Amino acid sequence: MDATTVLAEINGNIATVGYGLAAIGPAIGVGIVVGKTIEGVARQPELAGRLQVLMYIGIAFTEALAFIGIATYFIFV
Amino acid sequence: MSTPTPRATSAATGSSARPVFVRILKWGGLLALAIAVIGGVTGFLVDSERGLVSALVGTAMAILFTGLTATSILVANRFSGTDFFTAIFFAVVMGAWIVKFAIFLVLVFLLRDQPWINPVVMFLCIIAGVLGSLIVDVVVVATSRMSYASDVTLPGE
Repeated sequence: MDATTVLAEINGNIATVGYGLAAIGPAIGVGIVVGKTIEGVARQPELAGRLQVLMYIGIAFTEALAFIGIATYFIFV
Repeated sequence: MSTPTPRATSAATGSSARPVFVRILKWGGLLALAIAVIGGVTGFLVDSERGLVSALVGTAMAILFTGLTATSILVANRFSGTDFFTAIFFAVVMGAWIVKFAIFLVLVFLLRDQPWINPVVMFLCIIAGVLGSLIVDVVVVATSRMSYASDVTLPGE
């Protein structure tokens, strides 16, 4: 009798799991950046312009992480 | 009796942040040109026409997708002064962000197995474009002049 029994088989590409993991960080990051910007604009509406620029920098850095995470699919598979 | 000429307030121009985002887009375009030239030549030397095309597609993807955030903020700012500006602003910016990533994912899956794409050249050009646009963003924001409390409308204006 066979010593090992296959209970479940997983098919597909492991890169999909990688993308899921890569999405967690930027999602939390952008959530915090945008949430804090809304908070700031609500407290001081006259600073909206400045806060938009700072928010943009925050989004740019977090989305860079996501882009690189997704683009790794090109070489690591 | 003379009628007062309307001043160019933040409500009329969108936002005081507008010049910063316009500069970011301009410098981002120049960066894309530089990466396309350098990446294209390098790609051509590495893998002839396949490398050249991969470098150009990678650069275009990186710059298009990173520049879309600034563009969405500029578009959203057109609604400043309206009642639901905050809601519209974040809906446009975050909506553009999520759509952008969905399109980027689809493009990556479609282009990955194309015979006319060199994945390594394309990957390196995307990384160069993303990191370069980050540098451009930081330099432009650090060197731009913005006054505190600029989006103010005084009573009577």
